[in-house]
Amino acid sequence: MANWTDCLNFGISIAKQASEVVLSAFQQHKEVKLKSSPADLVTETDQRVEKILISAIRNRYPQHRFIGEESVAAGERLELTDSPTWIIDPIDGTVNFVHRFPFVAISIAFTFNKQIQFGIVYSCVEDKLFYAQRGGGAFLNGEPLYVSGQQDISRCVVVTEIGAERDDVALSTTTSNICRLLKLPVHGVRALGTAAVDMCQVATGGADAYYHIGMHCWDIAASAIIVQEAGGVVMDTDGSEFDMMSRRVIAASSATVADRIAQVIQAFPCCRDDEDNCRCGATGVN
Amino acid sequence: MADQWQSSMDHAVAIARRAGEVVREALLDDRAVMTKSSSVDLVTQTDQKVEQLIIQSVKEKFPTHRFIGEESVAAGESCVLTDCPTWIIDPIDGTTNFVHAFPFVAVSIGFSVNKQVEFGVVYSCLEDKMFTARRGKGAFCNGQPLEVSEQKDIQQSIVATEFGSSRAPEAVDRIFCSLKNVLSIPVHGLRGAGTAAINMCLVASGCVEAYYEIGIHVWDVAAGSLIVCEAGGVLMDVEGNGPDANTSCLPARCVSDGCLCAGGEVDLMSRRIIAANSRTIAERLVREIAPFRPPRDDAPPPN
Repeated sequence: MANWTDCLNFGISIAKQASEVVLSAFQQHKEVKLKSSPADLVTETDQRVEKILISAIRNRYPQHRFIGEESVAAGERLELTDSPTWIIDPIDGTVNFVHRFPFVAISIAFTFNKQIQFGIVYSCVEDKLFYAQRGGGAFLNGEPLYVSGQQDISRCVVVTEIGAERDDVALSTTTSNICRLLKLPVHGVRALGTAAVDMCQVATGGADAYYHIGMHCWDIAASAIIVQEAGGVVMDTDGSEFDMMSRRVIAASSATVADRIAQVIQAFPCCRDDEDNCRCGATGVN
Repeated sequence: MADQWQSSMDHAVAIARRAGEVVREALLDDRAVMTKSSSVDLVTQTDQKVEQLIIQSVKEKFPTHRFIGEESVAAGESCVLTDCPTWIIDPIDGTTNFVHAFPFVAVSIGFSVNKQVEFGVVYSCLEDKMFTARRGKGAFCNGQPLEVSEQKDIQQSIVATEFGSSRAPEAVDRIFCSLKNVLSIPVHGLRGAGTAAINMCLVASGCVEAYYEIGIHVWDVAAGSLIVCEAGGVLMDVEGNGPDANTSCLPARCVSDGCLCAGGEVDLMSRRIIAANSRTIAERLVREIAPFRPPRDDAPPPN
C-alpha cells in the first residue's frame, strides 16, 4: 500500500513557501477581479500562488494530477480520477485577504483512488499549520487535535459562512438556516470567512460543528480529513455520505450533532463541482 | 501638561494583561458554566474572578473611583453612570467562546469621567493583542497605530455582527431581517468572531468596515467605542442619530486639537450600536437594520 508521508511533508514545505508570497502581498493594495458574483473575488496573488504550488509539485511528482481553484476558473476540466491528485485552494478567504482580515489559508488535499489521503490547511497570518494523514491523527503546529465530542446541539457553537451567492434564493435559504439553528437553540454561530479555517475550528474542539452549502471541493477536502482524524464526522447536508463534489458539507464533533443539523438546514440548488456544464467552477467561497 | 488619567490608563493596561493570563490559565481547566438571562447567556467562575481581580486592584490604587462591571451588575449593583471617574468592565467578552475555547476572548475596560470615555483598553488575550486608545491621542494595537479602512463603497465592505444571546422570537426575526437586508446590498461578506469588543477593534484595525449589533451592553462597547473613534471611525445608533442621541447618554466623541473629528453620538446605555469607518457606511447600514429596543442598561430593575 502506498505511503504518502513524503507527499504530505512536501505539501507542508511548499505551503509554507507559498505563504511568504501571501504574507508579503497581505498588507499591500490588491487589484481585485470578480468571478461569479460581486462577493466572489480573485486577485493576482491567488493565481500566482496556485501556479507556484502546481509547478513545484509537477517538478517533484510529474505523474500527479491537479484540481486547482484558479485553474478550473481558467477553464481546466474538473475531474477526480483514481490517480494521485492534489486539490488546491491557493487562498481560501480571498475576501479576507483583500480586506486584511487576518484569516487566510492555503489549502492542499491529496487523493488517491478518489479517497482523501491527507490534508493541509495553513492559516498563514496566524501561523497555524493544520494537517492530517489518513490513519495518523490530526495536528496543529505539531500538537494533536481532538474534536469536542459534544453530543448536545443546545450546547454547540456552530461555524458557517454566508458564501458568495447574493441571489435571493440562496440568501433566503442561508439566512433562514442560521435562524432555525439559533432558535434550537445553539450556544452561538460564528463566521471567520474561510471554509478551511472554519472547519479546522471543529477539529480543535473550539467549535462543535461547521456546515456550508455552495463551497467547492478545494475549500473543504483538506479540512474534511483533518476533522475526521481529530475524531469528528463529515457528511452531506441531507445526512447522506460526504461527497466532496456535492458542494455541501456538515463537519461535526459527533454524528448526533451532525444529524441534528442535517434535520434543520435546507440546501439551495447548486450544481456539482464535477458536472461538465457547471460554470460554478468559477464561483468561490469568500 | 501631564495627563491626569495616564496612571489610571497604565494600570488598566497592566491589569488587563494580568486578567488575560488568568483567562489563559483557566482555559486549561474545566470551564463549568452557569446561565444568566437565557440558556445561551453564559457566565463562569472565571468571569466573576477576573472582575473581582480588576475591581480590587483599582480600589487599592484609586479608592474614589467607581465601577460598572458586568458581573457586579448581574449581582445587583447599579448600572447608572455618574460624572465620577468610572471603570466600565467586561471581564470576559466572549464568554461563550471562552467556554468552548473558540479563540476570541477579550478583557474590556473603558474609563469614563463626566460621562465621557477618556480611555479604552481591549485585551484579546488568546491572540495577545492589546488594543488601547486615549481620547485625542489615537488608537493602537501592541503599540502600532490603528486606522480604519478608507473604503466608502458599501458594496466593497465587510460587516461584522453577532446574533446575540436573546432567543426571543421577535428579536431573532428582526436580527435576521437586518442580516438579509445587509447581505442583499450586496456586501463583500459578513463576519462574527463572537465578541463585541474584538469586532469593534476589527473596525479600528481596518479589517472590516463596520460592526453593528442590537443587544450588547455598555461594558461590551465602552472601551471599543473610543478605540474606533480614535482610529478615525464613527459611532451611530442603529436608527441613525435618532431621538435617543440627545438623552442622558454617554457621548463618545473624540476631540483632537480642538476640532470635533468624525464621530456620531451614540448612547452606550441603549444596547444598540453601529461602529463604522465612516458616516457614509454607517448611514447606509442604518437603512437596512430592522431596529428593536432591548431594555436599557440604566433602566431601573423590574420589581
